[in-house]
Amino acid sequence: MKRRNMFNAAWAVMVLSAGGMSGAVYAQSASAPAEIRIMENGGTSGDSIEQGYIKPFSARTGIKVTRESPTGVGKLQAMVQSGKITATLVELSATDTATANALGLIEPLDWEAINPDPIYPEARQPNAFGWQYSSTLMAWKKGSKAPKTWADFWNVKDFPGKRALPDYPASVLPLALLADGVAPEDLYPLDIDRAFASLEKIKGSVAVWWKAGAQPAQLLEDQEVTYAVAWSGRVVGNPKIDYTYNQGLLQLTYFVVPKGADPAAKAAAMGLLHEASKLDNQVAATRVIPYTGASPGIEKLLPAEVANNFPTTDANKRVQVQPDPRWSAENATMLQRRWQAFKLGL
Amino acid sequence: MSMISRRQGAPGFLLVVPLLAIMALGFNLPLVMMLGKSLFNEAGITFEYFKQLVEVPAYLRVLGNTFQIALITSLCCVALGYPLAYWLRGLPARWQFIALAAVVIPFWVSILVRTYAWIVVLGNAGIVNRVLLGLGWVDSPVAFLYNELGVVIGTINVLLPFLVLPLFASMLKIDQQLIRAAETLGASSWKAFWRVFFPLSLPALAAGAILVFILTLGFLITPAILGGGRVPMIANMLDLLVNQQPDWELASVISTVLLAATLVLFVMYLRLTAQKDET
Repeated sequence: MKRRNMFNAAWAVMVLSAGGMSGAVYAQSASAPAEIRIMENGGTSGDSIEQGYIKPFSARTGIKVTRESPTGVGKLQAMVQSGKITATLVELSATDTATANALGLIEPLDWEAINPDPIYPEARQPNAFGWQYSSTLMAWKKGSKAPKTWADFWNVKDFPGKRALPDYPASVLPLALLADGVAPEDLYPLDIDRAFASLEKIKGSVAVWWKAGAQPAQLLEDQEVTYAVAWSGRVVGNPKIDYTYNQGLLQLTYFVVPKGADPAAKAAAMGLLHEASKLDNQVAATRVIPYTGASPGIEKLLPAEVANNFPTTDANKRVQVQPDPRWSAENATMLQRRWQAFKLGL
Repeated sequence: MSMISRRQGAPGFLLVVPLLAIMALGFNLPLVMMLGKSLFNEAGITFEYFKQLVEVPAYLRVLGNTFQIALITSLCCVALGYPLAYWLRGLPARWQFIALAAVVIPFWVSILVRTYAWIVVLGNAGIVNRVLLGLGWVDSPVAFLYNELGVVIGTINVLLPFLVLPLFASMLKIDQQLIRAAETLGASSWKAFWRVFFPLSLPALAAGAILVFILTLGFLITPAILGGGRVPMIANMLDLLVNQQPDWELASVISTVLLAATLVLFVMYLRLTAQKDET
């Protein structure tokens, strides 16, 4: 009998290791797991999760949290389709969250268990928890003439110099429309033809369509370009670069739970999300990266000169524009095709 | 002779079986299943996804663009690599060793590091442009990067050893006596090279060029960094379709087309290398 148990245990270990880490994590389904795994963007952003939210969570519950990166809706789809859920929480951009939702890859959160402190309404979705705000904004090398609006940014005559824009149509097209004079409240549904016509005006001055968030700051510093569209966290605090939140695209990144996740692990993960809804923890996370969590009032806890760097202070949030991720997700295929054709000059 | 070696090979084959099984089940089978997505869906066999590829001009254009860059890269590697290999062949043994080390060492440096290094060298504020501006040869920085030129430079840098090393090895095998014989019979040294040496080295050169071509087709990092988003290549398109879109069916169609093209080239490569071994 004993020997058989040993054999079974050995067999179980083999099966579990063959099935990735999920088995080991959820071996004790009945009680709280010893460990949960999350998939996130990595880098400094991942470190901010560690410092801001995982530390207090593990201290409170004793549950270890293992991070893996990078994340993406492709990896999420692979997990759900194969039935091997190796991460209980997955970080996704707002557009990817809408895509995952439409594809049925994620399941509802237990908001009662999360029991969040006050957070902005857009952060509280039935199956997504908004945890980190960032802004897609205009930045330029210190000393260059400062643009105030996207119309200025698009004006290559009065603001001469090369530009670097993101290689992401869902971000660039709303900016192109704002530059063309569309009011923020009239942006969606995007007038695609008008947006591309607006982009044609600036295309000749675009030296780089960037893909990685580190690129715009590097391109500005290396004098490859004079003006760039950048993610706020990559330019805030850079002594060589100026930026403005004015007309920036305020974007929210979410945590979702893959469909079919182990219930015990999911229950534990709700506790981690609770930590992410606490303003104190969010302040700790901003010490690692200048992106902010979903709780209002961060400026009350920080000196003004620091708080002004963040996308969600009242003053900064007011001057930004919120995109419609659902529209971008629903039209993703069309957007990508038009985008590729535009870049190829077709 | 061949009989003996074949018989000796038999128990060896048994030892290879576990590896073959792992490769077949762990690698080839998922690959075939992935490729299957291009032709099969819940309804059965379908050509819908192939139709999408043909109907959307952007995809075909990116495919064409990829093949074009692969061709340019191969030709440049031939132009740079052949003289290099020929020169290496004539060096004294010790210098040969040093020169070969110089060719191989970049191999050990991460492709990411090498690619970013080009930004330091060729960027607007890079070494080359600062020298050119300092000498007054140009008025504004030359755009080496963030265009096709940048991608081709970066790709050549990575792939040149793939052409030079086999070519050099095959050149060493060419009998020097043949060239001497040609010269004894009155051929100029150029003629002896062109009529005797070059034809003998041609299969290895062509094989190397095809190898470079095939490898370029799959390049992801170099166009992503040095192309500045303006030189779309098929691997970057696949990244988009697999990780962001996610449209695995179309990704599978593109992979199938790419694999088919690669297989055709690979057969050519095998023919050329087989021919080389016979000589």
